[in-house]
Amino acid sequence: MSFLQNFHLSPGQTIRSTRGFKWNTGNNEQPQGQGQTQQNGQNSPLANKGQSDFTSNSNFMTTPIKQRGTNNPSLFNAPADQQQQVTDFNYTPSHQKPFIQPVSGTTVTTHQDIKEIVETTLGSEGVLNQAVKLPKGENENEWLAVHVVDFYNQINMLYGTITEFCSPESCPRMIATNEYEYLWSFEKGRSPVSVSAPKYVECLMRWCQDQFDDELIFPSRRDGVFPDRFIDKVIIPMLRRLFRVYAHIYCHHFNEILELNLQTVLNTSFRHFCLFAQEFNLLRPSDFGPLLELVTELRDR
Amino acid sequence: IVHSPKKLPPGFDKKASSNKTQRLVSVCKMYFLDYYCDMFDYVISRRQRTKKVLEYLEQQKQTQNMPTETLNNEWYGYLQKEHEVLRKRRLKPKHKDFE
Repeated sequence: MSFLQNFHLSPGQTIRSTRGFKWNTGNNEQPQGQGQTQQNGQNSPLANKGQSDFTSNSNFMTTPIKQRGTNNPSLFNAPADQQQQVTDFNYTPSHQKPFIQPVSGTTVTTHQDIKEIVETTLGSEGVLNQAVKLPKGENENEWLAVHVVDFYNQINMLYGTITEFCSPESCPRMIATNEYEYLWSFEKGRSPVSVSAPKYVECLMRWCQDQFDDELIFPSRRDGVFPDRFIDKVIIPMLRRLFRVYAHIYCHHFNEILELNLQTVLNTSFRHFCLFAQEFNLLRPSDFGPLLELVTELRDR
Repeated sequence: IVHSPKKLPPGFDKKASSNKTQRLVSVCKMYFLDYYCDMFDYVISRRQRTKKVLEYLEQQKQTQNMPTETLNNEWYGYLQKEHEVLRKRRLKPKHKDFE
């Protein structure tokens, strides 16, 4: 792996240097923590040779190494309180990280660290895997329908706690990392448009609610039956979209979630969601887009 | 990790300590606690019920020599009841009073 880190790449080339994922570190000037500003303009690959972030593996956060001023001129002008190394816990897939990262004190790296976090935040191990299984003799559609409603409620709750921090100003686009933006289609046939994150979530939740209320899709009467191809036409599109709210929260509001001490709840809910989708083969890896690495991590543990 | 200063949006502390946010956070935690307790309770007790029914049917088959058709009907009758219980779980009003 270190071979790849030291390998010279011309600008514009990208490489998936590692399958692990890391915390963002405090080299980011933007107040919102979205946008991985690449401040490597001045860094020649030669100067950074050997300074891959793998070197600070074991003692992250304990040995703050002063950032060299020449590497990051904007820090020079920053007020004193911003000069402190700040950790950004918002999730970014490893391939989105700048190819060469300046050495900094608070680099949290590799699988080991994320594993520790996940292990300390997740409660019931193995129990959820069992709980998502279809009960003997039960109708699969009904089981899936119950769960989709549950996940809808869970996401509503989770997003509800951060509504104060997810505004049209803070999140003018519904994104998850810089690589993924989700558009909303207001009318059938019209091309989908870019909306702010709160607007997107609002539209999404109303869209779900409308289907839950539709007797022809989610029957409430005893003798009501589910429509043909209910899983393909209703369940899967819903889960695909609900997932995007998790993605946005993980990628752009995880700092706040941590601060509010909701990470256990978020992780448990998301893990439950993934296990459920996996049990019934509902989502493809591409549906997990920005969180694919996190999903793999949760599944393999 | 606990002592690391985190990158937070401007005005975070003020919003985070506001009554509204605090209330939402505690409601959220309570909701999840309640949900998972209830969910596990349902899954476990349903499995126990199914196990009992299957044991009963097996016993009937052995001792009473009941025809397979009757046993099947009883089994489907049981599943129908479970199905209705599950459907009610989906429809039960949830946390609407919190909105």
